[in-house]
Amino acid sequence: MSIGLVVVAVVCFVLAVLYGLGVLQIAVSDPHSPHHYTHMILFIVLGVAALIGANFTRQKAV
Amino acid sequence: MSWWQALFMGLLQGATELFPVSSLGHAVLVPSLLHWAFKQSDPSFVPFLTLLHLGTATALLVLYWRQWIQIIRAFFTAAVRGRIATDDERLAMLLMVGTLPAAILGVYFENRIKGFFASPYEAAGFLIANGLLMLGFEVLRRRAERREAASAQTRAEVEERFTDAAHISFLAAVIVGACQALAFLPGISRSGVTIGGGLVAGLRHEEAARFSFLLATPTILGAGILEVPQLFSGSVPLATYVGAAVLAGLAAYASARFLLRYFRSGRLDPYGWYCVAAGLISFALLHFGL
Repeated sequence: MSIGLVVVAVVCFVLAVLYGLGVLQIAVSDPHSPHHYTHMILFIVLGVAALIGANFTRQKAV
Repeated sequence: MSWWQALFMGLLQGATELFPVSSLGHAVLVPSLLHWAFKQSDPSFVPFLTLLHLGTATALLVLYWRQWIQIIRAFFTAAVRGRIATDDERLAMLLMVGTLPAAILGVYFENRIKGFFASPYEAAGFLIANGLLMLGFEVLRRRAERREAASAQTRAEVEERFTDAAHISFLAAVIVGACQALAFLPGISRSGVTIGGGLVAGLRHEEAARFSFLLATPTILGAGILEVPQLFSGSVPLATYVGAAVLAGLAAYASARFLLRYFRSGRLDPYGWYCVAAGLISFALLHFGL
């Protein structure tokens, strides 16, 4: 679970970069815009949330 | 939009944002019913509404500033530790998981949702649907009260059988948070669906309102911060709009104080009936062009 969430976080950060650079154009309001900062911010937030989730699910030393 | 219309809209938005009657629905319907010349499809209308929302969010931040400091501190503590130890930490995490669905749906359905802003007929229809939702939530709640608090004598005793915001399940927080996305439709109330969702999840009325207001703050702030730059792109009377946002904030603060007191013993029903009636009357007025 923990590793899976880290992978999700990495994917989210990659998607954030791709949206930020304008490489990714999936479900954007203006396909002609060079950058999609709203989507970028969303995926950064989702990535951070996934990392927090990973921290919650990792095995902790008692 | 003239300056007095902008200020009126600010007051209207602030007064209706936290009441479960849909501020967006009113912001779309009222100008149409009053035959005001400005169009909701104008590119500056959504950023204007967003600026008003920022006024409302500021009012909520002022109202809950002590709690927000505790919540933010608790959020970072729990996130780093990887374990929830206090009620504040649990509430912070509930707010996070409740905010994410609305953020995802908001970003991906933004354009389609904005398409609805132009039509007062759709706003009237959604207002009726919102009223029926409020009444439906209370029907479900009354069933739960008969089940959980059959022996209770007073309203206060009944409410005591239900829980507070920090103790709902994470799944319930996700569902309540996702319900926020319905409020992108003008006529559906954000506070209405989140308070109603909170009631179904087992919160006391007052706690459901508090959870709704706390949940609304990051969503409204986030949406506002993303939209506000559009205000500076054209010839927008910024001073008037900021004045309207201040009025919205003042009205929202007074509304929140009233609602928190009201929900100690009150229910959603009066707002449900109001929405059904307002939607039907709006339909009639729009249809007959009065």
